[in-house]
Amino acid sequence: MRGSSTTSLPVTSRSVPTALLILYSLLLALGLGLGSAYQALNGDPPFGSLRVGPWMVWPKLGSPEADPYMRAIIARRGDVPLATGEGITLSARVDSSGRALDSSCSYRIGSVMPAARLWTITLYDEKGQLLVSELGRSSFTSAEIVRDADDRFSLALSRTLQPGNWLQLPPSGSFQAVLRLYDPPGAAGAILSESTFPGIERVGCGA
Amino acid sequence: MRNRGRFLIATLCGLVIAVGVHIVAILASPSFAEQDTFGRVQSTLTADTAQIISAPGGQNTWLPLPDPAVAVAACAFDLRDGPMRVAAKTGALILSFSFHTKTGGVFFAVTDRAAVRGELEIVAMTARQLDEARAAEDENEPSRDVRIVAPEQQGFVIVRVAAPTASLRPQAEEAAKAVSCAADQDVAG
Repeated sequence: MRGSSTTSLPVTSRSVPTALLILYSLLLALGLGLGSAYQALNGDPPFGSLRVGPWMVWPKLGSPEADPYMRAIIARRGDVPLATGEGITLSARVDSSGRALDSSCSYRIGSVMPAARLWTITLYDEKGQLLVSELGRSSFTSAEIVRDADDRFSLALSRTLQPGNWLQLPPSGSFQAVLRLYDPPGAAGAILSESTFPGIERVGCGA
Repeated sequence: MRNRGRFLIATLCGLVIAVGVHIVAILASPSFAEQDTFGRVQSTLTADTAQIISAPGGQNTWLPLPDPAVAVAACAFDLRDGPMRVAAKTGALILSFSFHTKTGGVFFAVTDRAAVRGELEIVAMTARQLDEARAAEDENEPSRDVRIVAPEQQGFVIVRVAAPTASLRPQAEEAAKAVSCAADQDVAG
C-alpha cells in the first residue's frame, strides 16, 4: 500500500489537477460557443441562400420555415423581412463578375426584371445607411425608371452625374444594392432564375 | 505524455460542449432580444391604428435597410384581450399585411389583391377563440371574416404601403396610418 502510493504520488503531483482541466474545457466551450454564436448573429444567415447572378437571396427568410439562424439574425437586426406573400428581397455586394462593389468604379444595372407589381432598387453604404445623391435620390422604382422601346432599362451607378437613370455613389468605400420585388405573381421562389434578373456590370474604375 | 492526453481529452470535451452552447445560444437569442421589432413596437399596443415605424424616404427609422418607396407601419397585438381585427381600405397603392409573433417569425401575409370590395380585413385569433367564435355563430348567417389562427398570443402586424413615385409618398404614409387594428369586441364579448 505504502509502496504503491509513494510511487503514484509523484505522478499525480506532476499531472494537472482534474478540476483545472474541467474548468479549462468549460471555459473553452463557453468562449467558443458564445463567440461563434455572436459571429453568426452579426453576419448573413449561413444556410438557405441562393445566388441569382450577382444577387443573393434567402427565399425562406420571410416564411414560417425560416431556420433558427435566420430567426436569430432577424431578431438581432430588429428587421422585418418581406414575407413570402408580400414580395422578395435580393441584395448584391458584388458585380456580375464577382468583384466587390466599390464606389470608385461605375456600374450599369440592367436590363430585364421579373414580373412584379412594383420593384425598387436601392443603394446603401457598408453600414446600411441610404446613399442619397445630390438630387435627393437613393432608389429607383419600376414606375420611375425610364425604359427604351424594347421595355429594357439601364441604371447607371457612378460618382458623377450621368444622363438617364442614375444613382450617385459615395466618394469612397464599398456599397450594396438591394432589389425588392413587391407582389410578384405566383410563388416567389419560382421566379428565381438568373436570366430574368438584371446584371450588374462594371463599366470602369478610377477617377 | 499522460498530461498531454488528458489535455487533449479536455479540449475535445470543450469543443463538443461548445457546439451545444452555440446551438442553445442561437435558439434562445430571439427570446432574449429586446431591440427586436416585437420589443420596439410594444408601444403601439394601445393604439387603434397602425403606427408608422418607417416613413417613406427611409429617414429616421430603426428599421435596417429601409426601402424609401415604402411606408411601414406596425401594430402590436395581445390576443389575451380578445381577437384582433386589422382592416384597411385599399386604393391604387400596393398594400400588404404580415403577421408575426415574437419568436416564431411570420405566420401569415396577404396583399391587397385579396381585398373584397376595396376592403382588406383579417381577424387574428387563437385556436381557442376560433372555436368559441364558431360555437357562438348563427348557422344560417355564418361570419364572412377571414380568420387567421396565431401560433402565439403576442405578436405584431406589419403594414406596408408602397409608393411607386416620390409624389405618392405622403399618400402611402396616410394609407399606412389609416389601417385600423383593434381588439375585436363582437367576438371577444
